[in-house]
Amino acid sequence: MFEKWKQKRNFKCLKEERFSFLFEEPDADEYVVFDCETTGLNPKIDDIISIGAVKIKGNKILTNEALHLLVQQKEEINHKSITIHQIRNCDLDGAIPLDEAIEKFLYYIGSQTLVGYYLEFDVAMINKTLKPMFGITLPNRKEEVSALYYDQKIARIPQGHIDLRFDSIVKDLALPNLPGHDALNDAVMTAMMYIKLKNMSRSKGALRRV
Amino acid sequence: MIALLESLKTYIPFSYMDEESFSEIETSAQIAYYPKSTVLIRQHATLQSLYYIIKGRVVCQKEEEMIDVYQNHDTFGGIELIENKTSDYDYSVDEELICYEIPAKVFLALTQKNQTFKAYFFSTMVERMKLLKDKKEFSAIGDLMVSRVDKSILHEVFIAQEQTLILEALEQMDRENATSILVENSEGYGIITDKDLRYYILNKEKENLRVAADIQTYPISTIQEGELLFNILLLMTGHSIKHLPVLDEQGKAIGILELIDLLSYFSNQTHLVSVQVEKALTLDAVITAVKRVNVIIEALHAKGIKTRYIAKLISEINRKMYMKIFMFIMPKECREKSNFIVLGSEGRGEQILRTDQDNALIFEDTYEPEWLEEITQRFIAVLDEIGFPRCEGNVMMINPKWAKSLRAYKKDIDTWVDAPTYEGFMDMAILFDSMSVAGDESLHQRLKAYMIQKVQETKTILPHFVRAIEHFESPLGLFSQFISTDKEHKNQIDMKKGALFALVHGVRGLALEYGITLTNTSLRIKELNNIGYLSKQDAKNLIEALEVINTLRLDAQLIKQSKGEPIDNYISLSALSKIERDALKEVLKTVNAFKKRISHHFHLSVVS
Repeated sequence: MFEKWKQKRNFKCLKEERFSFLFEEPDADEYVVFDCETTGLNPKIDDIISIGAVKIKGNKILTNEALHLLVQQKEEINHKSITIHQIRNCDLDGAIPLDEAIEKFLYYIGSQTLVGYYLEFDVAMINKTLKPMFGITLPNRKEEVSALYYDQKIARIPQGHIDLRFDSIVKDLALPNLPGHDALNDAVMTAMMYIKLKNMSRSKGALRRV
Repeated sequence: MIALLESLKTYIPFSYMDEESFSEIETSAQIAYYPKSTVLIRQHATLQSLYYIIKGRVVCQKEEEMIDVYQNHDTFGGIELIENKTSDYDYSVDEELICYEIPAKVFLALTQKNQTFKAYFFSTMVERMKLLKDKKEFSAIGDLMVSRVDKSILHEVFIAQEQTLILEALEQMDRENATSILVENSEGYGIITDKDLRYYILNKEKENLRVAADIQTYPISTIQEGELLFNILLLMTGHSIKHLPVLDEQGKAIGILELIDLLSYFSNQTHLVSVQVEKALTLDAVITAVKRVNVIIEALHAKGIKTRYIAKLISEINRKMYMKIFMFIMPKECREKSNFIVLGSEGRGEQILRTDQDNALIFEDTYEPEWLEEITQRFIAVLDEIGFPRCEGNVMMINPKWAKSLRAYKKDIDTWVDAPTYEGFMDMAILFDSMSVAGDESLHQRLKAYMIQKVQETKTILPHFVRAIEHFESPLGLFSQFISTDKEHKNQIDMKKGALFALVHGVRGLALEYGITLTNTSLRIKELNNIGYLSKQDAKNLIEALEVINTLRLDAQLIKQSKGEPIDNYISLSALSKIERDALKEVLKTVNAFKKRISHHFHLSVVS
């Protein structure tokens, strides 16, 4: 109820009609996984370097329709984030302005449910630019992979400490590890986690029904 | 580009593709997830895409029978797509699968554009192995197996006539600084080397030696131009030849190959060991010499020399070693009235590393050796010291069962044939693979002839003899059952039980049926082709299969040996590269098909 009201209010703030598709009903069984690489971990002061996104349809990751956007930087990227993301300033050739990237991103995600790892942060990074541009925040439904993982784990080890680090989850779910560490690769890995977790809960549900 | 896709580039056959092809894959391939037990492709279904396994395992089955297993980095579906036919098999997920799916249309367009890529899907296992070997970097000497003798390493030929005066011939040699001179006889060449000159000097007065024909070594071994260097090495080390004339197609000498030059090609010690064994004056000298054999095997294997050639070379050295030990240990009378034979893998000339010893003595019917026990114990003790593990089946001359008269062996054969048992058949198989090494060879020949004759008269036992090939489960079945059945050897397969035994034993059964006296499995297969039982292609496939099995096994064994672990027949699946696994799969399929053929040939389904 409250969600609906919030959504309505968000919609009213939309400055441009052409983005009203964001508020439509999402397709069942279709999701968009996305990840941002940023200059730091504080949404207030840090900037987006790149956005990687990939669609999931059923049990398939549509890598053929993947989105990888590099964003032009106001300042030179500092050393710390270079070492994390291995994106050097020269790698940003072909980068586009931030507002253009945001528009492309919106057209890509449409009204689909968004999936991510610590999605809140990535959504905040997008909203920071989106709000001044079009008056809204991302209206899409959101699913947090680490939360899904936590729920699965806690059901099995109720008192346990659950390691929610990205690499730990990859390892625990026995997923293949990607060598690359950019926004798109992280999105693909997150997509794998999501599909696997969904399948795990599905088979458990099936068991319960039996 | 997505890192997973990037990593695809390092795996054959995708490594053959250019950037453009890759971007086509990038814009069309999807990653798919399938939980365990999903049936990906049903029998008779049309494939929609080519599958590349990122992680997981897929089994390919036909009516419950396992045909193939695909694992990480494997590709499947290619052949069906290229041939535009429906699947003959069910493909189902055996272990949670994450894979790429490259749409059929894109894949087919890529195969049109890139013939190497396409050819990969139709390449035979040996071609795939070759691709892999090409990838490994061998030293220049590495492809010795395919090196052939050419003029560059030959010495110039100097020719004397039969009636040339010896001194004249010597002057010519001196003038040309030659170490040998050929003598042209009415039929074939003779040769004069330092050895003949010594003979001349010592005997010229006494025997009135005057012309070249008087002192030449004649007749002599020769080889044709273009012969494989490796075969030449075998010939020269086998017969202690130092100078070998090379002839052209017309039989005219074009050069002399000197052992020393050949050896500089082979930077290993094979010849040295062979000579040392031959020259050894004491038992200790023999032991010291052959202890270095393992080093040689490693060197040859590292150079990419085919295992069957290594086996040939090693069995040559071993034969000399046995002859020497036999000479040193056996009393003279025993040497004349008995025959020393090696059996099993040694008899077939297929043992490379010393995995076990199988040996026996055959005595003349009238001969009863004294001190038999003491002598045979000494013999086996020497083999212990050299490093031959004892035979688990106790097929050794210290066992009275394997040291007896020809008549007693014949009686065994009668029992094996007339009152068949599994153990009897195994003994029969071992004896059928025997090879005479020292002593009175005719004893062994008579024994073998008797065995073949007996079997020919009682062919009905052959199906029972051959039935043992069904004793071990199909190795492709073993793949999937592996984790649950053999905890000690997780992710490993036993090459002997899984593949080698069926092949060797099936061929052995056919050899018995057709009275083939050769013991080496490759040679038996060739002979089965000669007599028309096997087609050339089938024979080639079987020999290739044998080669792959033995190469993979030797790889694993050498690693174990270097770590000081006991040598067994297991190979680790995870240690294999993709192509090796591909090749192994092909081999296992070939072996399975051969088993079926044997089963059909001997009507095994109706014997119980």
